[in-house]
Amino acid sequence: MNKSGTDIQFAICGSAGDGTIASGDIVKRAAAAVGFHVIAFDVYPPEIRGFGKCISRIRVSAEQAYSLKEKTDVFISLNDSHAIPHVGEVRDFGAVIYDDRSIAPIREGAHITAHIRPAQIPYGLPIRQISEQATNAARSRNIVVLGYMAGLLKLPSRPFREVIAAKFATKPQAVIDANIRAFDAGLEAGRKVFRLDDVDVGTVPDHGGSEAVMMTGNGAIVRGFLEAGIQSYFGYPITPATSIMERLAVEMPKQGGKFLQTEDEISAIAATIGAGFAGSRAATATSGPGLALMTEMLGLGVMAEVPSVVVVSQRGGPSTGLPTKTEQSDLNLAVFGGSGDAQRIVIAPTNVEGCYRCAGMAFEIAETYQTPVIVLIDLYLSNRYETVFPSHENTFAPKPRKVPELAEGEPYKRFAFTESHISPRALPGDAGMVHTVTGLEHNELGRPGDGDHMRMNAKRHEKLISATRYPGLTVAKRFGDAGKVDVGILGWGSTFGEILEAMFEAQDAGISCSAMKAVMLSPLPVDELRAFFDDCRTVLVPELNYEGQFANLVSGALGRPVVRLNRTVATPMPVADILAEVKRLAAEADSPERIPATAGVGS
Amino acid sequence: MTEPVHHVIIGSGSAGFGAARTLRENDADCRITMFTMDAIPFYQRYELPQIFRGRSDWRDLLAVPPSFYEDHRIDLRRRCRVADVDGANRKISLSHQETVAYDRLLVCAGGRGYLPENLTGYGELIHGFGSFEAAMQTYRDLPEGGRVVMIGGDMVGIDLALTLLDTGYGVTLITNSQTFWPHELGAEERAPLLDVLRARGVTVLEDARAVRVEARNGGAPARCVTLDDGAQVQGDVVMAFCGLASSVEFMLRAAVDIERGLLVNPQLRTTNETIWAAGDVCQIWHDSEKAYKFYHGWKNVRVMGELAARNMQGANEVFDVDVEESIGIGEDGEIVSTFWTRGN
Repeated sequence: MNKSGTDIQFAICGSAGDGTIASGDIVKRAAAAVGFHVIAFDVYPPEIRGFGKCISRIRVSAEQAYSLKEKTDVFISLNDSHAIPHVGEVRDFGAVIYDDRSIAPIREGAHITAHIRPAQIPYGLPIRQISEQATNAARSRNIVVLGYMAGLLKLPSRPFREVIAAKFATKPQAVIDANIRAFDAGLEAGRKVFRLDDVDVGTVPDHGGSEAVMMTGNGAIVRGFLEAGIQSYFGYPITPATSIMERLAVEMPKQGGKFLQTEDEISAIAATIGAGFAGSRAATATSGPGLALMTEMLGLGVMAEVPSVVVVSQRGGPSTGLPTKTEQSDLNLAVFGGSGDAQRIVIAPTNVEGCYRCAGMAFEIAETYQTPVIVLIDLYLSNRYETVFPSHENTFAPKPRKVPELAEGEPYKRFAFTESHISPRALPGDAGMVHTVTGLEHNELGRPGDGDHMRMNAKRHEKLISATRYPGLTVAKRFGDAGKVDVGILGWGSTFGEILEAMFEAQDAGISCSAMKAVMLSPLPVDELRAFFDDCRTVLVPELNYEGQFANLVSGALGRPVVRLNRTVATPMPVADILAEVKRLAAEADSPERIPATAGVGS
Repeated sequence: MTEPVHHVIIGSGSAGFGAARTLRENDADCRITMFTMDAIPFYQRYELPQIFRGRSDWRDLLAVPPSFYEDHRIDLRRRCRVADVDGANRKISLSHQETVAYDRLLVCAGGRGYLPENLTGYGELIHGFGSFEAAMQTYRDLPEGGRVVMIGGDMVGIDLALTLLDTGYGVTLITNSQTFWPHELGAEERAPLLDVLRARGVTVLEDARAVRVEARNGGAPARCVTLDDGAQVQGDVVMAFCGLASSVEFMLRAAVDIERGLLVNPQLRTTNETIWAAGDVCQIWHDSEKAYKFYHGWKNVRVMGELAARNMQGANEVFDVDVEESIGIGEDGEIVSTFWTRGN
């Protein structure tokens, strides 16, 4: 998207232990502190163990951005062997900052200067030497280079110093002082350099006094949970969801919540449903492999009509797959996983603020519909940082529960058939509301053995239909050109940021184009989707899986053809790929010989 | 399958660029690597005064777009300082401790601005003009309508002086033996040329020697130059244009003959069979004069680079002075130098 003012993407590449992620964290926090929008994503080695290549990418902009950019404006190498494959990501006349000294002989071509393209601007400095001179140690190289970058680009230094001081606040003062000295030494070196790049720093935007908060998707989930008054959390660690339980383990006791790390995912979901049965706002979080283990208990939640919240952060699969890489291939599992006809609610936020809102609303939705709610995200969204400008009003706090009212002598029917298909829910301990809850099919009282399976199945499904009209929840939203368009792009989850960026670029290229995000994936908001399809000559569905799981879901539900764009490249969906496909489809829309789109599973 | 011949070129100026282009034109398969201290790909240094005419984007000065190098498979390695050349083993060492092997080496490292011995202690107070970055720094530091005190006044300096006058600045020229370098002129030959400069508005100080440069802290103008007779000249910027000193320090272990520059035969080959040199860095044997001579000026330098490249690929061409040294006053009353008059 062409933005006015500041729109810079920084990338810092190094080895685990170089402070790569830490320096990226300082950049994003310093930028957010002065009022810029930030979107950032860190890439770790494919193994969870702590070694190998790390890259921190940070997009800083005056206007809201929706994804990382294809090209980096300022690239920092803290380790040439890792950085060299990524130098090509730097745009023409962008900056490449690197250490121009080596402590040991290096083989021909192993220095980054051998890979900087003629249109890129090299900025070499003796990073290690400056660090050693400033701090008597080389370990502050990552801070030196931040100072250099700030000096080079004439960025305000105070926010950097403040963030550095805050980052090392738990360390002795000498550590803080050393890092400030390292930053200042780099700053001085950078200020002396004549800039040849054309990176436009622009001016700090005015947000009208609203204070930015920087969060990851997982952090936003936690904040949403806490504001919603989460009372119980049961979890088992798994990448990329672990940081949710880590944060909750710290925060929940402060507000009287119960946190338990269970022995596995089966226990976690069982305990969550048990707590939900008892009336506690309960949640768990996992990833695809964990969700696979949880599906039996999710079925219990559906059958027993017990509210619970399950966050699923997808990663590359199947099996152990690619634990530190992103993918959107657990949609089928989230929507359909388990035995029987076990429809549940699945909502998929598309950005960090969406994570906050979906997590905050998930408990109330689960309680309203008395069923499990899955908040489906992925590693890219879990670990992605964005600045959020939240309202100070907590809209997620629990509302007073309405205890069912019974006439004198009337038996309490926990699963009563009602007009809305939602039965009055009592909790254990409510006077006169003793009832049975079971995974067996049951009658209105909850007793197994003599239930009307057909009617109960219908009740469990039809009660969810109105979820697509849930107050305050955006289940789907259209962006871009209104009315009839040549190309519609339909997306879900983290990929929608890239879809929006591609849509803006397509519009800039003169293509009639709209995009729609689907947040509620089960049940599908078919009315909104159908209206979108009606307006689009062609609908493209980009997603990070091989099978086109969402495309299958939508085309199956609507009976409409879609064009699929599937990538399993372990990285976010390239904007360029979406844009290229949009352009191809737009060209075909103009052509008398249109290539038909495909419809249905496997077609 | 044999490895392609690896040609390494040190320097990316007129000679180096001309050599690289010639090498590629004559051999589609060879490997070409250029090393340069510059951050900017090849541009004509003589264009730098244009900065004062508003051409302050370095991309406007490039001789070819950056994509040229990739299109012609020329590895351009910028910000690389060659620390040492091992002529016996055909390897160069870079200051960041990378070693690069070559089959044939061409040295076109040019020269750096020469500063008279008595002024070397004032280097930080003297603005440079040897690179785009230095020229831009001068441009930024010079206030509108400000004055440059120019020491020496070689042909690059004269060109800048005339541009400065055209664009509203003042120039005070303190002449010395390097004035009009690389033309070697006696006092009588210089006199009419200096008159031209005076007529254009240059304040010319002859028979004076700058001995001290001082910063006037907080004052304006920012610099004060003291002459050997005690007189003081004030200006906003002090610049020295006293010719070039060849950049050969990294060749000391290359097993080649060096005098003031690298000594080469008329085929531009050094005393090492795999090392050639071209441009301001080399002195070429002049058979009739029985002496090694420098041949400055961008036209000569470009010819040298191209010729050296052909000889590296097996030719046996002799450098024949392309442009005879000549300076005078044209019909329009302007100074005309065969070395420095702009052309194609």
